Amino acid sequence: MHGITPRREQGMADPVLAQMVRATGATESRHYAAVKPVIQAYRASWVKIAPRRDGHVNATRAQVTDSTAVTAQIKAKAVEMGADLIGICRLQPQMIDLGSAVEHEFVIACCVAEDYEKVLGGPDAVEEEAMRTYAKCAELATELAEYIRAMGYPARAHHNGGSEVQAIPIFYQVGFGELGRHGSLINETYGASFRPGFVTTDLPMVEDRPREFGVQDFCMNCNVCQRNCPGDAIPQDYVMTHGIKRWLIDLEKCYPYSRLREEYCHLCVDVCPYNVKSHPDTYKALMKQRKQVGYKTPKSY
Amino acid sequence: MEKLYVNAVGPDGEVSTVGLFYSEAEAQRIVDLLRANPERPAYRYEIVPAERHTLSEKNTQRTR
Repeated sequence: MHGITPRREQGMADPVLAQMVRATGATESRHYAAVKPVIQAYRASWVKIAPRRDGHVNATRAQVTDSTAVTAQIKAKAVEMGADLIGICRLQPQMIDLGSAVEHEFVIACCVAEDYEKVLGGPDAVEEEAMRTYAKCAELATELAEYIRAMGYPARAHHNGGSEVQAIPIFYQVGFGELGRHGSLINETYGASFRPGFVTTDLPMVEDRPREFGVQDFCMNCNVCQRNCPGDAIPQDYVMTHGIKRWLIDLEKCYPYSRLREEYCHLCVDVCPYNVKSHPDTYKALMKQRKQVGYKTPKSY
Repeated sequence: MEKLYVNAVGPDGEVSTVGLFYSEAEAQRIVDLLRANPERPAYRYEIVPAERHTLSEKNTQRTR
């Protein structure tokens, strides 16, 4: 199956970022150049396990007579490995990168929640937590793919060390939540504070279904992420993609804060009111900090 | 920077926005890749300047 969703390249391979960096007279994005050792270590961890994304499939195939039971088995295994959210659906073209093809029938999404309490530690703490979670997801997806291959079914892990799949369309289809104004998917328990790893496979399983609980209607009137974005990068208007509302972040306005500075910017996700249910005190403390700076982050940030 | 939407128009006329791009060359590269997709021969693709992009449901209904 051929993909239809463009993936924006990272770092200087992204033509928008490259143009903006060169306009400042630099040759590298400050955010990517100023990588702290702890972040380097996390990035190295998913590069190291990338060769294990795919591999030998056990010639003796475990017969699946009850796909409900095998689905429960896979989900239990993922939870045992550390997943906080797990969902399964049939692979569709919008879930695959444009220019790539994936022949597997199903995709398993495994997410690990970030520790939201880190937001009070500032951008460095948030970035370290995000990278820790990404590294855990890479490990989890790799081990789950190996587990399925040992059952005699093809399986490939997709994570920061290598991927051909798109997170948002998969998250939606497996029922993790709905797409929010800030461009990330919102789950009612974890907000948008979680990171993914994926496994594509031919192991026959029972699909989960999309689940809507009012996020897109809420985002139409909330605007907290939009008002807190230091670059005014979050739009008022939305477009429709595959029948779903989608607010497209203006990268020209986002990058000066998220890529041209050394520090991480994760504010749009951190200030989302969907964090309040799971972390009421931390959310209130963060928003008190935000109020003190007039919600808009000062340009010196 | 220039801002351009790439839209996919399905055989039933429904418009689905593929993404926001920042140069004609970047948008055209995406359109070329989409057109090369053997599984969607009935789709057509358009590049629309952001300021002329008709938004949301209006957009979906425009070609219905």
